[in-house]
Amino acid sequence: MSKRTLFAALVLSSALSTAALSTTALAADPAVYKIGGIFAMTGASPHYGKVMSAGAQLAVDEINAQGGIDGIKLQLVIEDHKSGSAQAAVAGMNRLIDVEGVKAVLPSFSTVTLATMPIGDQKKVMMINGGGVSAQTVGTSPYMFNIRSMASDLAAGIAHRAAEQGAKKLAQIAIKSEFGDATIAATTKAWEGMGLKMVAAEQFQADAANIDTQVAKLRASQPDAIANWPTTPQAGLAVKRMRELGMKQPVYCMEWTAEDTKVAGRHAEGVEVVTDYFAATDENPWSKRFADAYRAKFGEMPDFYAANYYEGVYVVAELIRRAKAKGGDYYSGERLVQALWENPTFDSVYGKTLTFRKNGVAQKPVAVFRLENGEQKFVKFTTGE
Amino acid sequence: MDLLIQLTLNGLFNGAHFALLAMGFALIFGTTGVVHFAYGPVYAVGAYAIWALAVLVGLPFWAAVLLGVALTAALGVGCYLFIYRPFEISGSPPFVVLVASLGLFIVMKNLIGIVFGTGVKTVDSVAYDVHFVGNAFFTTVQLGQVAAALLVGCGIALFLRASRYGKAIRAMADNREMATVIGIDTTRLSILVFALGSAVSAVAGSLVLLRDGLNPNMGFGAVFVAFVAVIVGGVGSLRGAVIAAFLLAFVQSLGMWQIPTEWQNTIVFVVLFGFLLARPSGIVRRA
Repeated sequence: MSKRTLFAALVLSSALSTAALSTTALAADPAVYKIGGIFAMTGASPHYGKVMSAGAQLAVDEINAQGGIDGIKLQLVIEDHKSGSAQAAVAGMNRLIDVEGVKAVLPSFSTVTLATMPIGDQKKVMMINGGGVSAQTVGTSPYMFNIRSMASDLAAGIAHRAAEQGAKKLAQIAIKSEFGDATIAATTKAWEGMGLKMVAAEQFQADAANIDTQVAKLRASQPDAIANWPTTPQAGLAVKRMRELGMKQPVYCMEWTAEDTKVAGRHAEGVEVVTDYFAATDENPWSKRFADAYRAKFGEMPDFYAANYYEGVYVVAELIRRAKAKGGDYYSGERLVQALWENPTFDSVYGKTLTFRKNGVAQKPVAVFRLENGEQKFVKFTTGE
Repeated sequence: MDLLIQLTLNGLFNGAHFALLAMGFALIFGTTGVVHFAYGPVYAVGAYAIWALAVLVGLPFWAAVLLGVALTAALGVGCYLFIYRPFEISGSPPFVVLVASLGLFIVMKNLIGIVFGTGVKTVDSVAYDVHFVGNAFFTTVQLGQVAAALLVGCGIALFLRASRYGKAIRAMADNREMATVIGIDTTRLSILVFALGSAVSAVAGSLVLLRDGLNPNMGFGAVFVAFVAVIVGGVGSLRGAVIAAFLLAFVQSLGMWQIPTEWQNTIVFVVLFGFLLARPSGIVRRA
């Protein structure tokens, strides 16, 4: 090999190395950090998609306004699961991963989370659920995390609340879905575990507007209290129908939104909701800042779903920041999960911090609210254990 | 026993609602042969129009219903003239028209969400009472559903039997080609049945607005029930469609007496499937 050839080879290899290095650098540092959201933007329950996407988008906007993560902006990419279509959710999840290249996805609804969880697991994409309550999402994938209380926690809370108010016989009504089945099973277990009697468990299809038969059977079972498990807007419809038909028993829900209040009208009065507790307070400046910004942007106060997905984006952003600080090819689902377990505690918009337990669930404060004049008034904290 | 009475009443009231939907759909399908799946969103648009007139414009509810029914009739005519009629003129096969109706269904459903928003719409200004028969109950709105089904059913039956247009519609439903040969204007009649059928759906929509509220997806269940009732009742028979609508509602309600309600839709269609196997031409067989 002549000196000239050797020199040319060195220059070429040097150029190739530089190119390879810059390619690595490009792969490690994307132009934008895309976070996926799989929400109910259309279908029977678009209210959820509206508030969840609003909360997540607000967090993205706030982080970007502060310069993103070391100058790299976040982008929320939303896929519509049409209020619980597993098929739409799976298509959306694949698109988010294969086309958009996301490393973290925020799913919603139990059915959707369960349908997309195996894809996240297989393709090593981190998932943080802030809406679905199915216990089946717990402990089945190292990439799956929950930042809301599970159905079993809330069902136990409601069972305790109904029992402390003197109920001996409980009746349940739910949508026929994974969420409905899981909630009925959890409540039955909690209720009968206290030696009390479950007298009815009625279910209906997710898009049903006419639930007269179910309500007639609930009424015939003569319960002391009713556990009302449908989601928006059927939760409101069920209460309206029960009250219209002279059922005066206490009604407990774990889902209740402004839409339900609208549907139930005056019949919403006195309904109790046992759920994750989010309230903007002076003692918690971040919660107040969030609520003010949300109201300024969307014209209404945020509910806990908006808070969960807002917080979910902040958790993902913090994980990216932590992983990036460690260096290397940091932008992957594996590295985000690794960063989480190195320190599972994060600042929380609910107040102080949230900590992921070993099962991947960060339990939130669970509280009892009573509907008074259309507003959810805080009654007390309760146990979700 | 109380439960059985209650379920029977529920079947009656839901049957009245289904019958209204089925009559409108049967008029259109039985006469023109168009499988008008967009009937569902037309019904929904009618109900939303009544809501908008009552809540946004502030008209008295009865006036909103009258105007809403007229607007829905016009929308039905528009569907025929601008979507189905061009296919008829070009001699397109029925499945092309079917696909067009499905496309129209999706477009209209999405437009409802875009124009009116995806939230539930209710009317708070109309109060209604609850009535009890022993331990069973019903509301004034449910009584209204039965009254509306009776009035509309009798009105349509009278119109079809006694009026010149009604007789022409029956002739067209029986044999469209022969009707054309003897000088009946089938285009004009198609316009008429689309107007009538759509107007009937708006009547059903106005009562559902009071009872359950509105959402953009309400059209699917409506057209599904109407279509099944027309097929089970016997295509071309208005009487059959009404009987099938009540049968559907009673099976849906009474069928749940001793069975968990999660089986409600399943049991209905198992029964109906069995019925169609035994009697494929429907309840009322045409000569």
